[in-house]
Amino acid sequence: MLSQRKQKTNPNAIVAADALVCEEATLEGSITIGANCVVHPKAGIYAKDGPIVIGQGNIIEEQTRIINRNPPGVTGSSPLIIGNCNTFEVGSEFEGKSLGNNNVLEAKARVGPNTTLSNSCVIGAGCHVNTEEILPENTIICGDNYLRRINNDKLPSQTPQLDFLKKILPNYHFLVKPNKPA
Amino acid sequence: MDLEEIYYDGENYIETATGNKVSRQSVLCGSQNIVLNGKTIVQSDCIIRGDLANVRVGRHCIIKSRSVIRPPFKKFSKGVAFFPCVIGDHVYIEEDSIVNAAQIGSYVHIGKNCVIGRRCVLKDCCQIADNTILPPETLVPPFKLYGGSPAVCVEDLPECTQYLMIDATKQYYENFKRK
Repeated sequence: MLSQRKQKTNPNAIVAADALVCEEATLEGSITIGANCVVHPKAGIYAKDGPIVIGQGNIIEEQTRIINRNPPGVTGSSPLIIGNCNTFEVGSEFEGKSLGNNNVLEAKARVGPNTTLSNSCVIGAGCHVNTEEILPENTIICGDNYLRRINNDKLPSQTPQLDFLKKILPNYHFLVKPNKPA
Repeated sequence: MDLEEIYYDGENYIETATGNKVSRQSVLCGSQNIVLNGKTIVQSDCIIRGDLANVRVGRHCIIKSRSVIRPPFKKFSKGVAFFPCVIGDHVYIEEDSIVNAAQIGSYVHIGKNCVIGRRCVLKDCCQIADNTILPPETLVPPFKLYGGSPAVCVEDLPECTQYLMIDATKQYYENFKRK
């Protein structure tokens, strides 16, 4: 635990005032985290080849990896922009081009660098998606056979979960101090 | 079949009075809410989220590297509540699995790279194959092997499952030796 305490916070990470980022999370490179986000311990956000901008009200759980990396042979530093109210469950990995709002990446879901998610998409647990496409709104992908359907219902709001986490996590974890310039 | 002996670096593990062996590289959040009942091995890079709710783990359990034990949550009309996660005795959880179960009985074997969905109940003497995705709120009956995504019953387990699991976990514990 001691060695984790010593870890210096990343000077390039901009954390909004009411975001909750655990110090045991890994933030690498130029990262902006919006208001009302919760980043659990041991989550990893790696801005390798360009900045990552994360919107409001996202939940990023442990062992998640959000990576902005250029595909081989491509240079430049395009930002990876993540919208609002997305959930990255335990062990999910997002390397895609961009992410809209209200998406859910379930446990161990993986989105490769060729895919873009629009809004309210759900990538089921253990699904690996890396097709050259923009997933239409409300797409759900799940199961061994990658069955797809369009969801007609609205996804449940995650605000109660956010409120609960924001109440309970500060009791147990050291948090990254918000440093967003006013 | 005898398991081979595994040697660990004494500096990297904490041994408690009740015989738990917990890796220093594991993350136990909210450790005051985590109960390990003795002779349990928690290997490196495991995450046990005691901060969300209580986690109770029985005796002779083995939690291998990079597994996550995380109490499940349920949404109610008035906000969200996390439920305690109870794990029985002689439970073997292999690498990279994510356990969101509400209850796991005794003598349960969970394979590699599994996802046990929210508020699942695993009864005694069941087994989950490698790479299985168990959807939320699934109930796994005793003496069944579940596999696939979403998980279905694949086959039955022999009646001696209890003794096989006792043997396997005890032998693993005895062969898990300090260098």
